[in-house]
Amino acid sequence: MSITALTPTTSPLFERISESKKEEVVRDLSALLGAKYVLHTFYDLMLYEYDASIDRCTPDIVVLPASTEDVAAIVKIAVHHNIPVVPRGAGTGLSGGAIPIYGGIVIVFTRMNRILEVDYDNLRAVVQPGLVNLYLTNALNPQGFYYVPDPSSQRSCTIGGNVGENAGGPHTLIYGVTTNHVLGLEIVTSEGEIVQVGGLAQDTPGYDLTGLLIGSEGTLCIVTKIITRIVHLPEAVKTMVAVFDTMDDASNTVSEIIATGVIPAAIEMMDQMILQAVEADSHAGYPQDAAAVLLMETEGLREGVTEQVEQIVAICDKHHARAVRIAANEAERQLFWAGRKNAFGAVGRISPEFYVQDGVVPRTRLPYVLRRVGEICTSYGLRVGNVFHAGDGNLHPLILFDSQIPGEVERVRKAGHEILAVCAEVGGTITGEHGVGIEKQEEMALIFNEVDLQVMQQVRQAWNPHQLFNPGKLFPMPGRCADVKQL
Amino acid sequence: MGEIETFESALQAFASTARVTSDADILRNYAVDGLLPLFVVTPTTTKQAAHVVALANQYGLSLLARGGGSRISVGNLPERIDVLLETNRLTHVLEHEAPDLTCHVEAGLTLAALQAKLAKKGQWLALDPADAAQSTVGGILASNASGPKRLRYGSARDLVIGLHVIQANGEVTRSGGRVVKNVAGYDLNKLYIGSLGTLGIIADANFKLHPLPIAERTLLLTFTNAGDSMQMVIALLGSLLVPSALELVDPAAASDMNDFFGVNLPTNRYTLAIDFEGATATIDRQVDETRQLARKYGVLMVDDLAGESQDHFWEAVREHTQGTVTCKVAILVSQVAIYLQIVEQVCHRHDLEAAVVAHAGNGILFVELRPSDATYRLVEAIAELRLHAKEARGSLVVERCPVDLKRRISVWGEPGSDFYLMQRLKNQFDPNGTFVKGRFVGGL
Repeated sequence: MSITALTPTTSPLFERISESKKEEVVRDLSALLGAKYVLHTFYDLMLYEYDASIDRCTPDIVVLPASTEDVAAIVKIAVHHNIPVVPRGAGTGLSGGAIPIYGGIVIVFTRMNRILEVDYDNLRAVVQPGLVNLYLTNALNPQGFYYVPDPSSQRSCTIGGNVGENAGGPHTLIYGVTTNHVLGLEIVTSEGEIVQVGGLAQDTPGYDLTGLLIGSEGTLCIVTKIITRIVHLPEAVKTMVAVFDTMDDASNTVSEIIATGVIPAAIEMMDQMILQAVEADSHAGYPQDAAAVLLMETEGLREGVTEQVEQIVAICDKHHARAVRIAANEAERQLFWAGRKNAFGAVGRISPEFYVQDGVVPRTRLPYVLRRVGEICTSYGLRVGNVFHAGDGNLHPLILFDSQIPGEVERVRKAGHEILAVCAEVGGTITGEHGVGIEKQEEMALIFNEVDLQVMQQVRQAWNPHQLFNPGKLFPMPGRCADVKQL
Repeated sequence: MGEIETFESALQAFASTARVTSDADILRNYAVDGLLPLFVVTPTTTKQAAHVVALANQYGLSLLARGGGSRISVGNLPERIDVLLETNRLTHVLEHEAPDLTCHVEAGLTLAALQAKLAKKGQWLALDPADAAQSTVGGILASNASGPKRLRYGSARDLVIGLHVIQANGEVTRSGGRVVKNVAGYDLNKLYIGSLGTLGIIADANFKLHPLPIAERTLLLTFTNAGDSMQMVIALLGSLLVPSALELVDPAAASDMNDFFGVNLPTNRYTLAIDFEGATATIDRQVDETRQLARKYGVLMVDDLAGESQDHFWEAVREHTQGTVTCKVAILVSQVAIYLQIVEQVCHRHDLEAAVVAHAGNGILFVELRPSDATYRLVEAIAELRLHAKEARGSLVVERCPVDLKRRISVWGEPGSDFYLMQRLKNQFDPNGTFVKGRFVGGL
């Protein structure tokens, strides 16, 4: 049973393929890629049945293409046999985007992981989708540059996956998310055609297809090449941790920082439950009796950073911060961040399972919404921790649960839904960076009406009319096989 | 009764609040490339506007939205305009959530009026296209207009967080929302921005705002040639410094700006204008370092602007992007200097003159060609310049030109390999062809 299970009301979009058909398709794919790069045994496929969300479903075949032409040929084989295709980066997604809910072919980009071109004069890089996010930044660092979007999973997530989900990260507060850093794509369409959209230069005439495809969660096309912006590393970085005795003080601090127009590079909030989990895991030195901590970073020119730090400290003081600590050196800064970036993992130590939400609210509504999140979870008898991008108003409540306890999954589902309903009610949205996937299909109706959704369906109709690509995602769709992952 | 008459009587039903006119004298003011609409309708609410679109759809009429009209002639010749929907009475600021740094405004509000309102709370919408007094929010978004400061703040696609759009069947739909981060569903905002009203009509928009800069200063650097000035641009872009705008003005454009705007630029040199914003201390340091860097690239003269003279200078730059025949060329920054030489050669060959201002840090050039009535020479020169832009992995769009020239060229150029996907989108959004055809890429 899935945490977001819907009652099947119609027959599924795709039937699972028969063994004989599977053999035939494996033969076609092996002829194309070589048998080594076509996985089809139960043992091999297990690894590809889940991502970082709580659903799972086993694909029939996993392929590892080496080139755009391979991808196009794979799609043509899939079209020929009418088998769904799901692209997969590193499987770190949090909404089930890479889970093949009708089985079929999963395309894994491990072999398409190269940096094809870096142009420092024009501040561009051209990369393949399987490239790990952090590897691009690591490659650029010696020349003094980096790639901005930095999801917490950046050590393993791929840029192709980031494009699919329009990934964010702590440092997107002033610099924007993936869509603000990608200028063009090479794609394979659902007919298996290779097409270029956007480009190295700006303002390509015609519709902004690049902008449309980023964040389309593998439902419109498969991305095979990405043109990104690169940015000069800042001269100075200051990281600070402010400690608060109440959540309200912490969230009011965030609101005031934004309202005064002092916009740091990142403002992250962690509440007591998270602080305790993180401390047990990373020993970053976070106080465990505090109600909340704000992790803030300001960067840029030395003069500007010094001034911003003073302003931020003053605002923290005004809102009764118990202490504000500024990282003395790079090692301490890394330690602060390690605590934040490993927070999800740390929570895994204290709970068998957790369910993370990704709602966004106007930043001024944070105090209210955080209170409501607490109340909702209490009313269902569930524990919750909050670790999130406060500067963007992007919440990540982690609801702890144990699926072995009867009825617990259902209560988690209800609590999650209510939290997103509160986000919608205050003018927010249901997902800021994790995507809709299979997890929030139902919740799309909280922010979009029938007609809004219909327009989106028209877009899918134009690009992926037979739902060959990532079927049964984004929109409410009955009849699927995903299971809750047993940890 | 014919369709037009039935449509007219249906319109009259709510004419007490929306202005409907078919008076030939008035219609003349609304001609697009010489083509007159049959009706001009000026609704006062989105609901009315949506109703007009629904009626046009129902009666098989062709409809075009118009804001302030400042960019209405962008694009190829329209095929037919039955109804011109004027949005300039949809002017409400629906919300200005100042502490959230966001706002929600109707499409017919002019940019200048919006900025004045936001400035009261020390904020602004970081878009600086030409003609803010006349341009409306809807028109700016539909034509994806931008200005010099896009270097720092990006363009409309980076600032719009939500839209309400009137679809071809008259239904009003929402995309995005009012929060600064949102990945729920397809990012349709991107699709509507720059689509020139071919997919839907923007009724209102939610924006991400910025605080007004504490201070601002502009350095004017003078160089002997384009090569040195572009070396300077590349050095700046790859440095720690964060200019808000980097504008290159060629000698001919400098001379125009002197004549028409009373600025005082050297007319035999290239001027590079560098705008810095922020706290005074960071500006001072950046100004110093820019001066030092400029010496390395053979700067001849440095001038410093602030206050009114600075505002006036940038106003002149923005207005200069709108000549009678103006091509917008988008290429890589590293190709700009070579491209400027090509412009010179091509113009020389065809006995034309060019004046260029460029968002040098973005690789976007506005090439004004003269004389504007040398139609045949212009046709040939534009074809050559377009070819060179393509070779430089970019594009050339003729943003402004007389109708006579427009009849003989495609202002957008040949569509790319992704055009069939654009056509499919258009067919999905507007199956009956309610939104005026002919103007956008490939006749969409």
